[in-house]
Amino acid sequence: MLHYGEGGAWLNAEDLQLLEAFRRGEESAFTALVIKYREGIYRVARRLLGNHEDASDAAQEVFIRAHRALARFDGRAQIYTWLYRITVNLCLDTRGRIARMPLLDDGELLRDVPAPEGIAEQAEGREVGRVVARAVNALPPRQRAMVVLRLYQDLPYQEIASIMGCSEGTVKATMFAALRKLRRTLTDAGVRAP
Amino acid sequence: MTRDCESILERLVEGVTGLVPPAERAAILEHLATCPRCRQEAAELEATVASLREAGSVTTPPGFWGEFMRGLSAAVAGERLPVVLRLRRWLVMPRHAWGTALVAAAAAAMVISTARPPLRPETPPDPTRATARGLLTETMATTLPSLGEMLDIWRAGLVTEGEPLEATERRP
Repeated sequence: MLHYGEGGAWLNAEDLQLLEAFRRGEESAFTALVIKYREGIYRVARRLLGNHEDASDAAQEVFIRAHRALARFDGRAQIYTWLYRITVNLCLDTRGRIARMPLLDDGELLRDVPAPEGIAEQAEGREVGRVVARAVNALPPRQRAMVVLRLYQDLPYQEIASIMGCSEGTVKATMFAALRKLRRTLTDAGVRAP
Repeated sequence: MTRDCESILERLVEGVTGLVPPAERAAILEHLATCPRCRQEAAELEATVASLREAGSVTTPPGFWGEFMRGLSAAVAGERLPVVLRLRRWLVMPRHAWGTALVAAAAAAMVISTARPPLRPETPPDPTRATARGLLTETMATTLPSLGEMLDIWRAGLVTEGEPLEATERRP
């Protein structure tokens, strides 16, 4: 069930109730919002930053910023869209600041790859995971953010456009360019489709 | 590449990520059936998306979320919100609501009682009385204590209520 927000967006009824409770001073409403969205925020941060420690710090910072601004949240977007926007901006800033550091912690990413049955398949799976992770990390930051939001968070193009602050057409064109680039990289690395 | 191909390629990325409505999907498939080049493009994009999605889900170390929530609570508790916001939130906080209401009621009662207008309007000073009293010197009042009182009685007999002394004196 959606409810009309102050700024023109349809807010999820549950989120609206939590937002109103938070505005009344109920701190537990904020905790409920954190529990609801923390995994998605962490996953995006992890994919954009490449390691657990930075992603954990970023996710915490996202919610600290959200706590500071939530009482003034105008409802022009869904709460999760707003949270993803904070996350993407924070991660892109962080990546810009730590650009001198290695782009990717392979060990971290390997931990994420589900292990297939058998030693040979496992080794192959780890190798494919490594190549795919490197290919995604080699994309320009905004392209990478769009690929993560669409392919891993399954967000519609309209919401990705809202998060990235551009038009839906720009998101589609950027996604198309990113997927072509990824395809070339994966083909060159000999990755076959599963 | 035809205009159809360009249009299809634009929508292909939506098609391979699963966001195209069924009717549009049917149109894409119809085009792909007759265009080997777009078919090849679509197959490669599908394979890329499948590889990307297959590349694993993000997991967290055991016990991470408990630690995360503790850290976040501590950080949020240490946050200094703007004074207006803190005051507003404090006022509406349920455990303070009754106390705030009582204090507000007491303050309102105090303001009303001090600012309450008198039940009867004050009687304006009687200029004739003031003038008459003003004629008595301290010596006269000491030597003839009843003089002031006598003067008042005398004037009360001559002056009607609310009428100035001068008006009475000029009366023929």
